[in-house]
Formats: sequence, C-alpha cells, structure tokens
Amino acid sequence: MSIETFTQSEAFTLGIELELQIVNRHDYDLAPGAEDLLRLIGRRTLRADVKPEITSSMIELSTGICHDHREALDQLVEVRDALVECAARQNLRVCGGGTHAFQDWSRRRIYDTPRFQQVSQLYGYLSKQFTVFGQHVHIGCSNPDDALWLLHALSRYMPSVIALSASSPFVQGTDTGFHSARLNTVASFPLSGRAPFVLTWRGFEQYFDKMTRTGVVESMKDFYWDIRPKPEFGTIEVRVMDTPLSVTRAADIAAYLQCLARWLLIERPFQPDEDDYLVYSYNRFQACRFGLDGVNVDPRTADRASIRERIAATLEPLAPHAAALGSAAGLAGIRAVLSNEVPADACWLRAQQDAEQFLPEIVRRQCVRFED
Amino acid sequence: MPDSMLFAALALVCAAALGELLWRRFGWPRPAAYAAVGLAVGVSGADVAGTAPALRLALDGALALLLFEAGARLNLRWLGRNPSLLWTSLCEALLSAVAVYGIARLLDVSAQAAAALGVIAMSVSPAVVQRVVGECHAAGQVTERLRLLSTLNTLYAILAMQCLIAGFLLFDAATWQQAWPPLLFSFCASLLLGVALGSILVAVARRLDLRSDSAVVLLLCFILSALLIAKLLQLSTLLVPLLAGMWLRNRSERPWVWPHQFGSAGAALILVMFVATGASVSLDVWPAALGLAAAMLAIRALTKSAAILALAGPSGLAVRQAVALGGTMLPLSATAWVLALDFAATHPTAGAALLPAVLAAIALIDVIAPVVMFNVLRHMGELDGARPPGGGER
Repeated sequence: MSIETFTQSEAFTLGIELELQIVNRHDYDLAPGAEDLLRLIGRRTLRADVKPEITSSMIELSTGICHDHREALDQLVEVRDALVECAARQNLRVCGGGTHAFQDWSRRRIYDTPRFQQVSQLYGYLSKQFTVFGQHVHIGCSNPDDALWLLHALSRYMPSVIALSASSPFVQGTDTGFHSARLNTVASFPLSGRAPFVLTWRGFEQYFDKMTRTGVVESMKDFYWDIRPKPEFGTIEVRVMDTPLSVTRAADIAAYLQCLARWLLIERPFQPDEDDYLVYSYNRFQACRFGLDGVNVDPRTADRASIRERIAATLEPLAPHAAALGSAAGLAGIRAVLSNEVPADACWLRAQQDAEQFLPEIVRRQCVRFED
Repeated sequence: MPDSMLFAALALVCAAALGELLWRRFGWPRPAAYAAVGLAVGVSGADVAGTAPALRLALDGALALLLFEAGARLNLRWLGRNPSLLWTSLCEALLSAVAVYGIARLLDVSAQAAAALGVIAMSVSPAVVQRVVGECHAAGQVTERLRLLSTLNTLYAILAMQCLIAGFLLFDAATWQQAWPPLLFSFCASLLLGVALGSILVAVARRLDLRSDSAVVLLLCFILSALLIAKLLQLSTLLVPLLAGMWLRNRSERPWVWPHQFGSAGAALILVMFVATGASVSLDVWPAALGLAAAMLAIRALTKSAAILALAGPSGLAVRQAVALGGTMLPLSATAWVLALDFAATHPTAGAALLPAVLAAIALIDVIAPVVMFNVLRHMGELDGARPPGGGER
C-alpha cells in the first residue's frame, strides 16, 4: 500500500487537536463517559469536531482550519464551552493536563471501534497505559517538500514546546519529578521518536513503501513520531505537547508554532541536518524533566542555554511573522509564561498539591481552570 | 439461645462462602448469595430473624453505613444542572407509588396498608445498589443514575412514610393531640442529628485521610453512635445517616474519596444485613401474600421503567440506556423491611396486612435483583475494565 497523495493546503494555516480527560464529580478519577458526551455533543452545530480516543475516559476535540490565533481560540472556546455543558448534564467534568494524576491504568476501557480494538490487540497493556493526553498542532504546507523540510527544521524547537505545554508531573498518584511525564509513556511505542531524515517527498514515499513492505505499518497512523507529515490534510503534525490546562495556553502554543513555521520556511535561517538529531533526545529529556529551566544544547555550536532563554531568543525574529499572521496575541501569552507573569502548568499543579496534599482536589481545580 | 446464635453464625459462614463461590466462579455479586442463604434460613423456620435485638442492631448499623454512603454520593447540584433528572426521579417514584396503591386496593388491601405499600414501593434499595456497584466497580451513566434515583426515591419514601404515619394519627380524632408533638420532634431531631453527624464527618475528612484504617474506624464509630442516639430518641434510623451523607457531600465541591466499603468491619455488617433481611421471611407469614407481592413488583418495575424511558431524551440518556436503567430498578431489601417495621410499630392493624406483602416481595426479588443488576451493567459495558465479566478478580 503506497502513501496517499499530499493534499495541497494554504501555507501556515493551523489546526489544533486536544485530548481531554473525562472525570467523575465524586472522587475526580477518570470516568468512561466518551460515548455519552459524543451523543450529546452530536446534537450541536460546532465549528470544531469532537471524536473518541483510545480509552473511553478520553475525548478529542479538533478545530477546523484556522488562519490565526484569534480564530483558533474562538473555536476552542466554543467547543470547550459545549463540552463542559454536556459533561455537566452527565455529572461529569472535562479537564486538560498531560496525565491524570492518580488514575489506575488497568481500569481503563478500550473505546469500541475496529481501529482502537486493533491497536489494543497489538500493543496489549500499552494501549491502556496510553491514557495520556496530548495537544497536536497541524501546520498547513503548500507542497510536500516544504512539509518535510519544515518537519526537520522544527525538530530543534521541540524542547521549547514540550516545556511550554508541560502539565504532567503526576502519574499513578506519585510526583514523578518530571514536568512532562507523559512523553515517557509515548516512548514505549516501537514507532515513536523522530521521523527519518528525509527532506523530499519522493524520498519519503520510498521510505514508506519499504516500511509497508515489511508489514510493520499500514498507514501514517502507525507512526507515533514527534512530528509527522499528514498528507491527507496537507500538513505536518506536531505531537509532542501535553494538553495544557487551558485552551488559551493551547492556542498560544499553536500560534508560536505557526510563527516558527513561517519564519523557518520564508527566511530559512539554517538548513536542517542529520546531525541536528545528535542532541535531540537529550534536549527532549531536559525539557520533559526540568521544563523551561531545562538545559538546551545547540547541535551545531554545542552552546548551552536554558530552554527559557532559547524561546526568548526566538521572540524577536518571530515578531514580524506574528504580525503578518495576526497571531501576535499568542506570542504575548508565551512571553507571559517566560517571565513567570503566569505560572507554567506543571509548576501550578505542584504548587496546588504542595498546599492541598490531596490529588483529587488538584484534578477538581484543573477542571475549574479548564472551564475558566 | 446459644443454639440460635450458633445457627446464625453458621448461616453467616454459609452465606460468606457461597457469596465468594458465586463471585469467583461466575463474577456474580455476593449480595445475591447472602440473600439466598438468608431466605433458606427463613424458610427453614430457624429463629434467627432480624427481630432479635442483636441482629436488628447489626442490620440497622449496616443499613446506616450504606445509606450514609448513598447520601454521600448524592450530588444535588447535578439536579440543578440537569432538571430533567429531578422530574424523572419525581415521576418514577410517584407513578410507582400510585400504581402500587391502586393494584393493592384492587386486591382488597385496606387503604392504610395499600398506602404504606405504595410508599415502600417508591424506594429502590440503595443498600443493594451501593454494594453491587461497589463490588463490580461499575461506572457509567446507567450506574450513576441508578445511584442517584435509588437514593432520591429512598429519601422520598422515608419522608413519605413519616408523613403517612403522622397523617393517619393526626386524622384520627382520638390520637391527633397526642400524636403531633412526638412526630414533630422525631422529624426535626432526625434532621438535626443528620446535620450534626455530617458536620462532624466533614471536620474529620478535612483532617484525616479517609482511606486510612484509623480514619475508617473513627468514621464507623461516629455513624454507629449517631444510630444509637437515633434509636434512643426514637428517631428515623434511615433518615439520619442518609441526611448526614447528603450534608457531607453537598456542603462543598471538594472531592470525597470513599473508604472502600468501610473495610472488613463494614463488609461483615453488610453480610449480616443481607442474611438477616432474608431470614425475616418465615414460611408461616408470607405465602398467602405472594400474588399481591408479584403484582406489586411487576407494576412497580413497569411504572419506573416507563417514567425513565419517557424522560430519557431530555435528561440526556440513550434509549437503550434508559431501558437498562429501568431494568436495574428492582431491589427492595432491608430499606423496605425497616420502613415496613416502622409503619407496623405505629399501626399494628394495617401493619399486619403490610408485613407479609413486603416479606413476600423481598423473597421474590432479593436474590434476583443483584444478579439482574449485575448482568444489565455488564451488558451496558459499565463494569470495571480490570475485571473480566464472569471471571472474578484477576
């Protein structure tokens, strides 16, 4: 089976997917409410879409094609409000965050679709442990070669967006010490990590053909890469982020990626290189472990700086692109996080737990934060 | 007396063993086995019925724990967010009460006994619901609404029974002057004691981790003490724990992590409760009332299902879920028995007609209801993902 044709899409348009937690209102553990929420939300007309995810305590919302930060945020707020209202009618609540703080993965139920059952058969308990919640951002590309070039150029900014979105310090009732522990779960999947270094669509087609010949993959969905091309949409999809605690933060991060994409593709400040990946895993680990204060190593110069400094250094070159895209408000949100004007999500969660020492109450506060 | 106690102890051992066997072999809920052994004891004519003071205290204690838990899971704010649920609850309770009253009158039951039967039919035993749901770790909309509706209709039944008892005495020219002060006292003091217990438990929950053994023991002691005070002052032993739970749950939005079934002590009390309720059903009392009980159960199931189905759409429930929810609204058990005993204590004549009917209904439904509930929840995919259907615990 060969890869589908890369659909041409308007450059630098964006789409956001958020995987959300469905929790009960008694002890705030995960609750199997996806089907009930989908039934109620299906009666409404929304610009965004709502879909099931692998386990029945998860639900995914996705915006349509957006041009700027405002449009994306409007759609997110609209669908968030609808979901919150439908959940309230079922005595449920929804919230962001990359992991649920104290759920028992063994009690999760696989959502009953052929695709999810097949994944469950193949990956066994990993599929239930995959009850983690990520943000995916699609960036529109006008041609497939640009998409692959952008995919590899963006890879050095993955630690930045991991740190900005990190919201999964607690797993199975324990503080992991990580800012984003979610990505450790994703790493268990055999086809996770980074995409192969191929810069042309022709080359990528050959790689895909070789992989399908081995019988290991059937479609692009079988790759759990940090960034992957999505030919059917004409986009690249950045998948490393935790679902932030608020839709505003999610829109800000998407806008930051949109501006990065425009800056990289128009100004081409450097040429991606296979050696960029020498420090990729290390930088990624630093972002997961220490968030914005993690160390980032420049693959070319071996220069070290904090992730916070790296992101701050991009804001100036990105400013004209943000203005051109109408996404300056998103960058303002990023600036506020860097200056600690608003807390990073993982830090906020830890501060709440330090004060309360009661994880169910922390999940309840996550719900309140998501609804605001 | 020692023989009777030994027999009771052996019955409890049998019930526990059979419960474990059914659970491990078929994944069936243990209360079905407990009730079956209780019924066998009752039918055998052995004198271990729930009227014995020690057993009655254990029954009341277990019921108090389960009603407290039911109250503590009743989120009244949900009714505000989804008013159709309140309508569903009112309709199913009222319809079943009226229908059962009607059928009882058709079968020549006196108006007083028929009214009491109607009130008792409102209630779906939250004790059975809590226990079965807890054992299977069920979760989902059918489970959630079953918990809500069973707690609400039990609350209505308890309040309605108080009104009914008061109403009959107050309408009687011979008794009304002596009747109203104690009834008013009973109602107000039950409310106050429930609120006081709830407030104390809020304070305990704020300071201790309720999942720890010491906190559970403290919680148990408070609930049992309140129960004893209620008995001493002749208050409603059903209303006090239910209100305490509701007060605890609805005073703040803070999550409430439930100590699972109150540990081993709670589980033992609950075993005694199910066996004692079943054992109350002695052969010399109820066979004559079987026809009435069967008619009552049938019309009760039908009206409850119809009300739930009629309001399924507005309340956000799919039709198949509504049918399933209607099918789970069967249990009667200890709540019905205690309500009937309370009524009979103040109205001995009507009580004599009421008790056999309630016992017959318990005999007919007590074993079946948990199994039906379990299978419906399994069919709806609401059982715990970690426990395969019919496979017991891994």
